[in-house]
Amino acid sequence: MHFRKLIFRRIIEVLAIFFLILSGLFLLFHLSPGDPVSRMVQPGMSAEDASMLISQLGLDQPLWLQYLYYVKNFFTGNFGISFHYGQPVIHIIGRRLPNTILLFTTSVVLSAAAGVLWGKIVAWYKGRAIDTWVTILALVCHTLFLPWIALLFIWIFAYHVGWFPLNGMITPELWIDPTTGFLAKAADIGHHMLLPLLTLFIIHVGSYLLIMRSSMLETLKEDYILTARAKGLSEKRVRNRHAAPNAYLPVVTSIGLSLAFSINGGALTETVFSWPGIGRELIFAVSNNDYPLALACFLFISLVVLVANVIVDVLYAYLDPRIRY
Amino acid sequence: MRFFPKLFVSSLIVVAAAMVLLCSAASAHAAASTLRVGIAEEPRTLNVWMATDANSNKILSLIYPPLYTEHPETLELTPWLAKAMPVWDKETNTYTMELRQAKWSDGSPLTAEDVVFTVNTIKSFKVPKYHSEWQFVEKAEAVDKQTVRFYLEEPRATFLTRSLINYVMPKKQWAPIVNQAKKQEKPLGALLNARVEKPLGCGPFVLERWQEGNFIYLTKNPHFFGRGQTIQGHQLGPHVDAVLFKVYGTADVAILSLKKGDIDFLWWSIQPGYLEDLEQNKNIRVMINEKSALYYMGFNVRKKPFSDPALRQAAAMVIDRDFIVKRVLQGYGARMDSIVPSENRFWCAPDMPEYGRGLNRAQRIKKARKILAEAGYSWQRPPVDENGRVVSPSTIVRPDGNQMEKFTILTPPADYDPNRATCGIIIQEWLKELGIPASARPMSFGALLETVKTRHDFDAFILGYGRLALDPDYLRSFFHSDNAKPGGWNMSGYHNPEFDKLAEASIAEMDTEKRRKLLYQMQEIIMEDVPYIPLYNPAAIEAVDTRTFKGWVPMVEGIGNIWSFCSVKPE
Repeated sequence: MHFRKLIFRRIIEVLAIFFLILSGLFLLFHLSPGDPVSRMVQPGMSAEDASMLISQLGLDQPLWLQYLYYVKNFFTGNFGISFHYGQPVIHIIGRRLPNTILLFTTSVVLSAAAGVLWGKIVAWYKGRAIDTWVTILALVCHTLFLPWIALLFIWIFAYHVGWFPLNGMITPELWIDPTTGFLAKAADIGHHMLLPLLTLFIIHVGSYLLIMRSSMLETLKEDYILTARAKGLSEKRVRNRHAAPNAYLPVVTSIGLSLAFSINGGALTETVFSWPGIGRELIFAVSNNDYPLALACFLFISLVVLVANVIVDVLYAYLDPRIRY
Repeated sequence: MRFFPKLFVSSLIVVAAAMVLLCSAASAHAAASTLRVGIAEEPRTLNVWMATDANSNKILSLIYPPLYTEHPETLELTPWLAKAMPVWDKETNTYTMELRQAKWSDGSPLTAEDVVFTVNTIKSFKVPKYHSEWQFVEKAEAVDKQTVRFYLEEPRATFLTRSLINYVMPKKQWAPIVNQAKKQEKPLGALLNARVEKPLGCGPFVLERWQEGNFIYLTKNPHFFGRGQTIQGHQLGPHVDAVLFKVYGTADVAILSLKKGDIDFLWWSIQPGYLEDLEQNKNIRVMINEKSALYYMGFNVRKKPFSDPALRQAAAMVIDRDFIVKRVLQGYGARMDSIVPSENRFWCAPDMPEYGRGLNRAQRIKKARKILAEAGYSWQRPPVDENGRVVSPSTIVRPDGNQMEKFTILTPPADYDPNRATCGIIIQEWLKELGIPASARPMSFGALLETVKTRHDFDAFILGYGRLALDPDYLRSFFHSDNAKPGGWNMSGYHNPEFDKLAEASIAEMDTEKRRKLLYQMQEIIMEDVPYIPLYNPAAIEAVDTRTFKGWVPMVEGIGNIWSFCSVKPE
């Protein structure tokens, strides 16, 4: 009962936050300088033609009316039409968002799993050489500059060694061939995904490892660990059953937070690897003042982050019964 | 190994095995005569009425044909879809033009009705991209199946050079969309946002597939009218079966792709920094052509201090354009002596004022000081001392006795265009040598345009046009006083009745030689008054793989042109 109530309360909170984001974004966009039409007009286009373009895009309405339309449109699933692509924003997002989710969910899951596993182990061997070296390595990974390491990997593994494709999500030559089957296409996407995944993994695994390590060290000081040992349980059992589950909690929190960060780092990753995701679209949209598209990108990204946070909270409540009461 | 649980190790092995497997699966290659082209960004749209960005027009120019196009060497207007040059009738103000026998990509004939439909659509929707080129055209009429007559409201010199180089659209495909759009609340919006999955074209290629975010695949148009024909000495193909456009996010990766052989042509302006690496590669040929571009510094002549032409001339004197080309562009570009790029040989006026060409810094400063002193400016400590040595001056005092206030030179930010941002800083230092208190300030591009074009709240700016039309009618847009209102293209607020008169005469002059004289005079006035100081015209640097295709046609703006795509052959 308490559990359900908690979930309900979190959802209400998240909805309120989302509405604040919705309104805040609208204001920010309309207060920022520059107008979208200035990018589309060319020398020779008369001022009348330009103002015609503005009114056709609905930009001549008063601000409060634009806001009401915006809220109404959002709740009816109408995100407007991108100024630049001339297509409904929802189509563009619909095509790009799955690509982003595919890449980033996989990378978060993999790096969190590896981070937890390795963090647990190095904490167990605290003070030995393995602990020192892995901790140093994790710190190095954590502080690497993403675009630099991405370009370096492309240069080494894709260009010189040739194990991976240079960029993109698919091999055009393969996809235009009508005889290519579904499996080959899936394999092609997987092949393109490996290098960005490796980059993201290296960037993220360090922080999970360090969090898990310090949390594990805290847990190992607890009395119940001593009790478990006193009972004569094997070291492995003490580590995996008694210590680790209690050490997971901070990692779960950090997954929720890192989803937000992985999306902003995602824009860089997607640009360097030409990965057709929503982060890259966001950069184009912002630099071209494509309000509807940029707004929708921001909204969807915040939605993903909020939903992830709810899931993390629920997971947390499940892992730690104290939260529930 | 005891630190790694078995499960994790085994999953790593599975991933490694999968990787090797996948590598072999992805090694398929397209047919040899697919031309693979790397482009910077995804085209925004393939809707002709909407497409204003360069990447969309790269694709569209291969699908839709224009009536006339420019000859690659002479840049003269050359009939493309039209059979010959149009016939001008002075009495009735009409042009009559005959079409070639041509077919759309579905095999249906292209007729005068298609041309009339295109003109009517532009006129009835006032399509912003084209409307200014067609608003002085009263109507277009199909005389017979192959003949079109255009009725002009007044003689208009740019009708040939600007209006007739537009694309012709298929009535068959677009008439239903146009009729549907007319019923909407916002007809123009509906037209601009309309989408056709398979554009019916008449160019050398047709769209086969657009995998958004990844690639665009064009195949040979079986009904292309030009196949095997010779136009102005160029035998047309196309000799390739398909063109595959690949989208790259960054220049670094695109260049690696070219070196690795993943693309045959990088249709992208390469920054000079990459050239040394590319030129060492014997499989890659770098192609350098001039652009038809204008990068310039503009002044706000509506208000002090730059309302004074003497100050603008002194600024032009200390701005060393050769230095900018040599250092900022690393030699890949041309200095500009007029608003019209020198590569536009027909229209660029000769013998423009040179503003210190060949002089060193000290000589420039002395000349500029003389101009300023004659116009009544003074210094407590002038930039040149009594022994004729150049010294650091005190802040300049205007002829009205007040010290000149600090002002800013607005430039785009360095991540948008490093060259313009760098020019701003260099020019700031040069002006300080005269005691002119300038400071360069980078500003985001959208905000910069709004400040300069709409709010007119600025002193000086550095902007540019990456692709200027070859017909220099833009001189009229930039400097005619009618365009000085907010949102107009006369951003400087330049006002000169003599110039206005010449500009109006130039647009109505149908005799090309006479018009050229008028445009020369206009350029002379502008370079004398310098509301804009033209700075440079960068080179178009592109690169191709020499192993795969040959027969590229160089032209102003580079080798990515319709002539190249109709001529390249597999090596």
